[in-house]
Amino acid sequence: MKKILPIANAIIAVISGLFVLLGYFFPKVFGGIQSVLIGWAIILAAFALLLGIFNLAMVHWKKIGAEGPSNINSIVLLISLIITMIVVSFSGPTGSWSLWIFNTFQLPVEISLIAVLAVILVYAGARLLSRRPKWYTGLFLVTVLIVLIGSVPLFFIGEIAPLNALRGWLAQVPAVAGARGLLLGVALGTVATGLRILMGVDRPYGG
Amino acid sequence: MGQVLSLIKDYFGFLFVLICLGLILFYIYSDRNRPKINLRDIQAFKHFRREVDLTVEAGKRLHVSLGRGNINDLQGGAAFIGLSILDCCARAASNSDRPPVTTSGDGVLTILSQDTLQSAYHTLATEQRYDPTNARLTGLTPMAYAAGTMPTIHDEHVSANIFAGHLGSEIALMTEASERSRSLSVAGTDSIPAQAVLYATSDEPLLGEELYAAGAYLGAGPAHLASLRMQDILRWVLILIMVIGAILKLLGILP
Repeated sequence: MKKILPIANAIIAVISGLFVLLGYFFPKVFGGIQSVLIGWAIILAAFALLLGIFNLAMVHWKKIGAEGPSNINSIVLLISLIITMIVVSFSGPTGSWSLWIFNTFQLPVEISLIAVLAVILVYAGARLLSRRPKWYTGLFLVTVLIVLIGSVPLFFIGEIAPLNALRGWLAQVPAVAGARGLLLGVALGTVATGLRILMGVDRPYGG
Repeated sequence: MGQVLSLIKDYFGFLFVLICLGLILFYIYSDRNRPKINLRDIQAFKHFRREVDLTVEAGKRLHVSLGRGNINDLQGGAAFIGLSILDCCARAASNSDRPPVTTSGDGVLTILSQDTLQSAYHTLATEQRYDPTNARLTGLTPMAYAAGTMPTIHDEHVSANIFAGHLGSEIALMTEASERSRSLSVAGTDSIPAQAVLYATSDEPLLGEELYAAGAYLGAGPAHLASLRMQDILRWVLILIMVIGAILKLLGILP
């Protein structure tokens, strides 16, 4: 049984993957079975989310038992999780109390993190020259400065037309060309990864 | 002729997939007796392999961040690479006192990472080492995921972090946490803006398709090497097509 189960898993995964792939190229023949399989995948993903939340609670329950400064964080997380689940199950996902929790706690914390992120990026940019003292690091930083200065009007000076034009050219020509090159690499990599899974070589489902 | 061209246009995607599959199968078959295939040097993987060995010796922990890519979507490709890396890490660190820990921002990805860890331990006959809480869901939104992952980097004796999956600019928060805890960060993502962020914040950024070469560099098997060679060939073919297309357009032959 221990040997049969992984093989059965692999066969089911490969056949399902093949039907979904063929559904994109031959929608008249495989479109129906493709939409059924995707529907099942969405339902399973919803259950997986519930299991993931249970896993999150388990991790923090274990942390409460262990000694250390993160105990308090774990207690706060578990209490918040229970309160939120109770409130949302009574009020509904778009109910006033649910939205109050979201707007009062989640939103300000996430916006604060975005602000911290901005500071971290500025600091990382300043540290880059010592981390990677190469000519292309200098080019990277000069480009960042030109794009930043060219994007906003400066105090007392206003907009600098040549910098604006240079920023536009940088954003539309070299940046787009580079991004497309990277995207081509990413696309080829994604195709290769998908094919390895369809061939049953990579089995991230415990096969 | 017109009908043939129309058919090619309609089924070009399918043809492209078949060509990719054919090339992978061809290289798996042709390279099966080759003793060693030389790969371009990528510093990130070199450093990471060394750090894995040091981690095992020092009794520390590896952290694999799989991002928050939904596997029902295009972002799943990068997440699957993360799972391949997790499998390699679990095998390489099987002797370590502390097993690798993995964080993800999607329920399906959490279950797949648990499966990957369990399967790796099962293969090595060390199933007793498997702990489902070592594969964690840390947050479902980008910032919640980053905020949930940072304590793992800080508090769990992590000596090396590999970020492999769909991650946005929030990755800077996690690489900064890694910097503060003096652990190595090797990071790759499929998001282009996040790659720019990684260049500035990560110790070893993986840019473009380098992330997708991880399996080949970390010894995940011949299929990974074959698919890497397929990517190289098709990349040159695409470059050639684009250059010829640009020349034909300049000459006014193409509309």
